[in-house]
Amino acid sequence: MIKRLNVIVCLVLLATTGAVAADTTPPDVAARCRDAMNNDPAFAKSITDKIDDTRIDQKLLDTHVEANARVQKNEAHVIYAYAALWVIAALFVIFLFFRQQALKAEIATLRRDLEAAAK
Amino acid sequence: MKGKLVPIFSALAAVGFAVSIYCVFFVAPLDFEIDRATGRLNGSSLFFNQKIVYFHVAHAFVLFTAVFVAGISSALYLRTRKPKYDDIASASVDVAVAFGAAVLATGSIWAKAAWGVWWQWEPRLTMSLLLWLILVGYVLVRRFAGPSADRVAAGMAIFGMVGVPFIYVMVGQDSHPASGPNGVAMNFPAGERGPFWLSVATFMIWFVALVLMRIQSTRAERELRELRERGMDLGVL
Repeated sequence: MIKRLNVIVCLVLLATTGAVAADTTPPDVAARCRDAMNNDPAFAKSITDKIDDTRIDQKLLDTHVEANARVQKNEAHVIYAYAALWVIAALFVIFLFFRQQALKAEIATLRRDLEAAAK
Repeated sequence: MKGKLVPIFSALAAVGFAVSIYCVFFVAPLDFEIDRATGRLNGSSLFFNQKIVYFHVAHAFVLFTAVFVAGISSALYLRTRKPKYDDIASASVDVAVAFGAAVLATGSIWAKAAWGVWWQWEPRLTMSLLLWLILVGYVLVRRFAGPSADRVAAGMAIFGMVGVPFIYVMVGQDSHPASGPNGVAMNFPAGERGPFWLSVATFMIWFVALVLMRIQSTRAERELRELRERGMDLGVL
């Protein structure tokens, strides 16, 4: 996934730098490129295919951006759910511990009283 | 050996928690699908919210197990009148109340994220709430129903157990993901299956540890009752 994202980023960067370079390209080079495309249909097709690929990758990038937004939106709910689980578990264990301690203390007191009464 | 069971099960559960949390958040893939035709995200994708399922469903499994243990132990208690069965039933129901509360809480939070509402009065959810209320009723009966509390409570535990299969296999036009053999839990994709069953195993071990802990309390309560009766006979109380 990261590899794909890297490719997308590279394509976006290439497209951007290409646009900047186009502004500064000497007119004769642009003309030569246009002529080459017009003279060779295969070369022209390879250029348009590359642009289509970039468009598909842009769609993938949009999908990832949307997915990331949805993950972030859900993050709070996952945290609430896990907090609820552990709070309930902790309360139950604390309840068990204190109950056991109270019972032990009460049993010890009663035993003492009964032994004293039996003497 | 018996005294060491609680620490052993608790330690196993602690290790299980650490490993399952790691697997759920760092190993299991994110739940999403991309529509091949449009190249866009599928609307039913759960994404990060799906991480709740690993523990929500595991808690539900433990809840059902606890209710079955309580129901069978109660039936055995009514038949044999051996206190050990009553102790197991009582301990299981107490643990089931805690796990049931966790199931309802996490389910509600999941519903808010997935459906946009905290609760829906659909059959499966309503039945789950009713089961939990029966378990709470069991605890209240044991505490306040007097000398026949154990037998009344045993009847309630059996009644609760009978309701579990209805919740598990209940099919309908409800929003809750399907359960049963064709349900979500039994058909997790390969990457999600391992963390899910690890989570279920961990919570089962945790359940055993909690039941053993609670049985110790139940035995202490019985001992206290007997001491009180002796005290009253001797005129000390």
